[in-house]
Amino acid sequence: MQTFTYSRARSINELRAVQAATGDRILAGGTTLYDLMKLRIETPDRLVDVTGIAGLDEIISHPDELVFGALVTMSDAAAHPAVLQRAPVLAEALSKAASQQLRNMATLGGNLLQRTRCAYFRNGTEYPCNKRTPGSGCAALEGLDRGHALFGGSGSCIAVYPGDWAVALVALDAVVDVRGSRGTHTIDVASLHRLPGDTPHVETVLEPDEMILNIRVPVGRLAQASTYHKIRDRESYAFALVSAAVALELEEGFVRQARIALGGVATRPWRVPAAEAGLTGRRLDRATALEVGRMTFADARPGRHNGFKIALGAEAVADALMIAAQRSENR
Amino acid sequence: MNETIYPDRARIDALEKVLGRTRFAADIPLPRITHAMTVPSRIVRGRLAAIDIGAARAVDGVLAVLTWRDFTNAQSAGYLMGGGFGFQSHQPMLSDRLVHRGEPIALVVAETLEIAIEAAALVDARYEEEPFAALLEDERAEILAPQAGHAMGDAQAMLASAAFRVDAEYLSPAQYQNPMEMIATVAEWRDGTLTIHEGTQNSSAVKFGVAAALGLDSARVRVKSAYLGGGFGQKNSLQGQTVLAARAAILLGRPVKLVMPRAQLYHTASFRPASRHRIQLGADADGRIVAASYEADMQNSRADTFRASFSEITARLYSIPNYSSTARLVRTDVQSPGYMRAPFEHPAAFAFESAVDELAYATGRDPLAFRLNNDAETDPVTGDPFSSRFLAECLRTGADRFGWSERNPAPGSMRADDGTMIGWGVAVGAYKAAMAPAIARLRVRADGTTLLSVSGHEMGQGIRTAIFAALTEGLEIDPARIEIVIGDPDAAPQHLTAGSWGTASSVPVVRRAVETMQARFDALRDGRSVHGSIHQMLALWRRPYIEVETRLQAPGQPDAVFDRLQRGLPAAGGPEYKPFVSFSYIAHFVEVRVEPTTRRIRVLRVVSIVDCGRVVSPRTAESQVRGGVVWGIGAALRETAEIDPRFGGVLNNDLAEYVLPVNADIGAIEVGFIDQPDPMLNEAGVKGLGEVAMVGVAAAIGNAIFHATGRRLRQLPMRIEHLI
Ligand SMILES: Cc1cc2nc3c(=O)[nH]c(=O)nc-3n(C[C@H](O)[C@H](O)[C@H](O)COP(=O)(O)OP(=O)(O)OC[C@H]3O[C@@H](n4cnc5c(N)ncnc54)[C@H](O)[C@@H]3O)c2cc1C
Ligand code: SF4
Repeated sequence: MQTFTYSRARSINELRAVQAATGDRILAGGTTLYDLMKLRIETPDRLVDVTGIAGLDEIISHPDELVFGALVTMSDAAAHPAVLQRAPVLAEALSKAASQQLRNMATLGGNLLQRTRCAYFRNGTEYPCNKRTPGSGCAALEGLDRGHALFGGSGSCIAVYPGDWAVALVALDAVVDVRGSRGTHTIDVASLHRLPGDTPHVETVLEPDEMILNIRVPVGRLAQASTYHKIRDRESYAFALVSAAVALELEEGFVRQARIALGGVATRPWRVPAAEAGLTGRRLDRATALEVGRMTFADARPGRHNGFKIALGAEAVADALMIAAQRSENR
Repeated sequence: MNETIYPDRARIDALEKVLGRTRFAADIPLPRITHAMTVPSRIVRGRLAAIDIGAARAVDGVLAVLTWRDFTNAQSAGYLMGGGFGFQSHQPMLSDRLVHRGEPIALVVAETLEIAIEAAALVDARYEEEPFAALLEDERAEILAPQAGHAMGDAQAMLASAAFRVDAEYLSPAQYQNPMEMIATVAEWRDGTLTIHEGTQNSSAVKFGVAAALGLDSARVRVKSAYLGGGFGQKNSLQGQTVLAARAAILLGRPVKLVMPRAQLYHTASFRPASRHRIQLGADADGRIVAASYEADMQNSRADTFRASFSEITARLYSIPNYSSTARLVRTDVQSPGYMRAPFEHPAAFAFESAVDELAYATGRDPLAFRLNNDAETDPVTGDPFSSRFLAECLRTGADRFGWSERNPAPGSMRADDGTMIGWGVAVGAYKAAMAPAIARLRVRADGTTLLSVSGHEMGQGIRTAIFAALTEGLEIDPARIEIVIGDPDAAPQHLTAGSWGTASSVPVVRRAVETMQARFDALRDGRSVHGSIHQMLALWRRPYIEVETRLQAPGQPDAVFDRLQRGLPAAGGPEYKPFVSFSYIAHFVEVRVEPTTRRIRVLRVVSIVDCGRVVSPRTAESQVRGGVVWGIGAALRETAEIDPRFGGVLNNDLAEYVLPVNADIGAIEVGFIDQPDPMLNEAGVKGLGEVAMVGVAAAIGNAIFHATGRRLRQLPMRIEHLI
């Protein structure tokens, strides 16, 4: 690990000043950043630790919105009563991610900016990887792609966005408040991550000096009848093979509104509006749920080893819809 | 004959361990210690055309950067299974020749670990690459002529005429031991003596191997292996890294610590090779297995010959009169594979016991009854008796505890209320009961202390606790003041601890030492009636101590094996001891639940009943079996190496991506022991346990999945994509 300078910011203003002067990279829990530094994928000279900044480690439950400070840890958010009750999809996305030790360190803001687990990307510069070394090619295109994208890939990169939390946020139309040299502004989580296109190394719309301050999630009936269903290679401590974040608003058995987002199968958190529309107005039973599950994967473009996720994903979406429907009835 | 029934007792080092006080090799504090890091090769095969260490050397705090040019006087210590000491014959950094991905091309030594890591990343190399074969099925892999295994009768003819037949191929992937403690070497050179601290299962091979590699007098090489944080066969011989660290310590005149990072361990140490198994079975109309043919292919490195022996147990699980087996070794460009827990027996039992299940269904019989109906009474291979065999009892006891009689035999017939598919499967396993020569030195002192030095290595399996039990069951000595020295060739000659012969070698020789000590004490006592411990009597009689030395080898072994023991060479005997044959046995009963929608497979419960002879240390024995079953679950459902044939090497080389089972994957595991001493193998009646524990688990799970779903999975790991 190369030598770097470490400092701590105690306020946003202090952070702004440090970044303006020396362009320090933001460090939160470090579970992504240090990992990538050890792998020499990230090589920042200067880090500024933001975890001491006051006021960004709270969850506030407003009547129609949950506001998460960017420095809240995954474990605190996953166990928060208002989150569990008002938006189970969020709590489940967090508690089914990583391990307890990681969740204790990792922050909600940092989580959004985790990077792909593509093995070629992580294993060293001897592997062609446009994300790591632009222009070097993509080893995954003709390689081991069991963990790669069925949606949103390009001829340059098919790496999956691995996070769970962002998928749940996208399902609920969440936004982030961001502060940096462009001032303070708000971005939909759905447009935070970019498609790889020809520039897979550019992953988000954030400027390097922009900090996520808050994550705001509209909550109401829809969020309450929600779930995060995650299928993985083991029962804990694994990224998703495929996951489904769904939320439902039912009226006498009929779907008034539905949200469906996919994780583990796309280059960024993946909403599927066509499937949502396909479900709206229908009576929900398992057969309909599976039909909609299949609709969700209608545009999937499988590679060599990940085709099984089309059938698996359809079932996962269907199961998720049934769980959410149950929660709707139980209210 | 040993009638002792051993009580349940806690592991003697348990408290020390949970308090974090146990000192593993990397924890040994030495003044002026330095830290080393290896630079892995980025190609699979070829030549190191140029290496630039300038930038690394220039980092503040770097003490040395060694390359192959610093090893011109060194040599390979040879291959363990070829008369040498190493896990492979290829010792990295002896020349510019590169033979597998990840082998070290340079060693950086620095004042701190961080500096060593930073400088290692700055070493720049240029390579001349050559074509290579990464996988068993690779075109460039070289398939050697088949080697004959066991052969009885005329298998092909009997298969052709059998009433029921099965012919199927089963696949087992490359797997990696992943002990918690990575391989760690601390080397110190002082006053012309080299001391190595390393958690190894074979301290003598390290001693003699380092001496041979570096041209040192073995009398001046000391090795200490007090504890291992797991070995599982990966630490069974001299590692390449040990030679590198030792050389650096000699050159620098300061202690050198090298802890191999986990990602590199996937390429610098041994592993379970990929293998392919074609099984043909035939049964007659009465459900008797009449013939079996076993053809296997197993991955090897280019240079070494790691022989396959898939037939050692499969020729004996049942009474099959006509049996033939061959194995072909397939040379690929990897480090040499080796003995990962139940190296042959796990994949062999997966293949064979799956096929037996298929045959049971083909004959329309219950898989349990089918197995019992085919039990062997004498060894089908030699015709000799088994020293003890309670496999049928394992099956019957297990079936009772599991509730097998409630099973509906039709595949897909058992469902939970929510539609979950339920599957019940059974499979058996065996593992040779081997013994290695051992020497024990026991000294009981008047001051109340006792010192025992004996052959054995503590991998966490609990050998110290078993030795302690044997010592204190037989002698009136102060249990709180016993020192047990193992893993130290200078205290007592050390044999490789592996192959489940650890307890079966150490405990009998310790029992013999105890008896000899008792006899010496009785002679001293000379008929006087005395009260009190041996210590008190010695004090009374003004004798500072009594010391005895005892030795024991496997039945029938000549005394010449002690010469091999003294030279650090493998000298274990078994399973064929004229005129009897010894194995440990196990039966596993498994309940799986398969989700009807996404087809997630869960192992709800396992009942495993073991015949390992006398159980000396019940608590550690039970946890050995639990651990073995967890290994079996991992091997069945989780673990595999991701290897891209274009690049070689293991891509999922960390604990996040190499999917070992986690707690949430493990349901109930119920363990039972037959606990009948083996009357012939040794005086303690002990057979082996550590490996047999996992043998057959994968097949039992596969058989249960078949019962749940009607789908027969013949490839490990069995994953969601195979059922969806
Ligand atoms: C072994 C392992 C398994 C994992 N499994 C899962 C899983 O199953 N599911 C899952 O969702 N995640 C998983 N993760 C990812 C984990 O959730 C993230 O590493 C973590 O959430 C990142 O948060 P952090 O605070 O540690 O971020 P850091 O590592 O501190 O930062 C990550 C990135 O975000 C930037 N950053 C941090 N905070 C901010 C901010 N407020 N504003 C702007 N930029 C910021 C940093 O500069 C850096 O680029 C896993 C991680 C590991 C190591
Ligand atoms: S998929 Fe993307 S991250 Fe993976 S190798 Fe290709 S370019 Fe790199």
